[in-house]
Amino acid sequence: MATDNLLESLKRCIERGKVNCKSPHPPDMKGQDGADELTRKALDTGIPPQDVLSNALVLGMQHVGERFRNKEIFVPDVLMSAKAMSAAMEHLKPFFKSDALKHRGTIVMGTVLGDLHDIGKKIVSMVIEGAGWEVVDLGTDVSPEKFLTAVDQHPGCVIGLSALLTTTMINMETTIRHVKGKHPGIKIIVGGAPVTQEFANKIGADGYSPDPQGAVEFLNTRCLQN
Amino acid sequence: MGDPLARETEVFYPAFSELTINRLLLEKVLGYRAGGTPEVISRLIDEILPEVPSRTSVQCGFSILPIGAVSVSRETFTCDGVQFTTGPIIAKQLRASTTLALFVATIGSQVEQWARDLIDSGDAVKGYIADAAASEAVEQAADWLEKKVTERVRDRGWKLTNRYSPGYCDWSVAEQHKLFSLLPERFCGVELTPSSLMLPIKSVSGVIGLGPEVKRDPTVCSICDMKDCFRRQEEPAAT
Repeated sequence: MATDNLLESLKRCIERGKVNCKSPHPPDMKGQDGADELTRKALDTGIPPQDVLSNALVLGMQHVGERFRNKEIFVPDVLMSAKAMSAAMEHLKPFFKSDALKHRGTIVMGTVLGDLHDIGKKIVSMVIEGAGWEVVDLGTDVSPEKFLTAVDQHPGCVIGLSALLTTTMINMETTIRHVKGKHPGIKIIVGGAPVTQEFANKIGADGYSPDPQGAVEFLNTRCLQN
Repeated sequence: MGDPLARETEVFYPAFSELTINRLLLEKVLGYRAGGTPEVISRLIDEILPEVPSRTSVQCGFSILPIGAVSVSRETFTCDGVQFTTGPIIAKQLRASTTLALFVATIGSQVEQWARDLIDSGDAVKGYIADAAASEAVEQAADWLEKKVTERVRDRGWKLTNRYSPGYCDWSVAEQHKLFSLLPERFCGVELTPSSLMLPIKSVSGVIGLGPEVKRDPTVCSICDMKDCFRRQEEPAAT
């Protein structure tokens, strides 16, 4: 298979959530190679890992994010694609370790203090990972101090704050004030069902998105360091 | 029949089989139109649904306040001296109430934990579907409880408003604490965090107006003009 065809097939596997040869989904691709096998083949053929990541995987997930935003597909479809993406990324891990491949940046994600909602944040994290970013997930009920410690451990990172309650989203402001007090230049994006652009502006967040793809666009346009 | 001049509190433990969660309903909850669900998602729903009942312990209960213990004004209502600021949208719906029923419903914490475990183990799709099934189950538990309230007050010639919860229609979720202060401790096994989050998370609480003149709207969101509300439900399409 020519390089372009291989990458195009891989991109399609991501878009359709085709994990590997054994996976029966989607039915019209049954028995065909999935993201797992095609990534291996692409690397074995000599396609640079950066091309595999940028020209197939990231493009595939970008398309998925756009279709989700347009309500053409739904959360389970995004998660199927994320699973295919994850299978592909397993083959790229050694290149990240050896620095032959670099993430576009690091984002520290967490649900703010007092809030235990997790699933929305995890879905956004998967899409962000699919866009070539490293995600450090601090979990739920994360204190401002814990965010600050993570920033110290990951210099140059971006922060993503999540909340699902009107009573806890006010803790986003406390976290932003705490982190920016020590790192005024850090970029912080907020999201979660009750959060709005107006609220994000009011609390001094740098970005807000109602959907995962918006978070990726914020990262890629406002937070790239090189 | 009960005494309308005394507070009536009752807790129920309905079997999961009294809820009506099925594949078609869950597909719709997940966003798919009829016939548009990917085969793999339908199959996963079929795998998950049989596992849900053994992981739920449904509990729900109401407390109907005595006549005279409740008053409703333009933006607030008061129960036993505790004032709630709901904003005008909910207060308007409760205005004609003779009294109010406070309620809680939960399905316990096991399904929610199962969903989290599935996601953490790499099966995010299945975990998400399990979580959606849990959310639907707790809403149906509240629907089931509404029927019990209806039965309880039918002989008095009373009807029910829709149910309203803190966090909806401009009613601050922080008022959960006031609501729970009017109920027995750990009512239905549910407790609140300082940030007003109910534990187990898959729980609902709120208030229902009762009386001969109250009205029920077919879609609860039709009463509200907060068009950009994240909880807004789509109006049914005209046929």
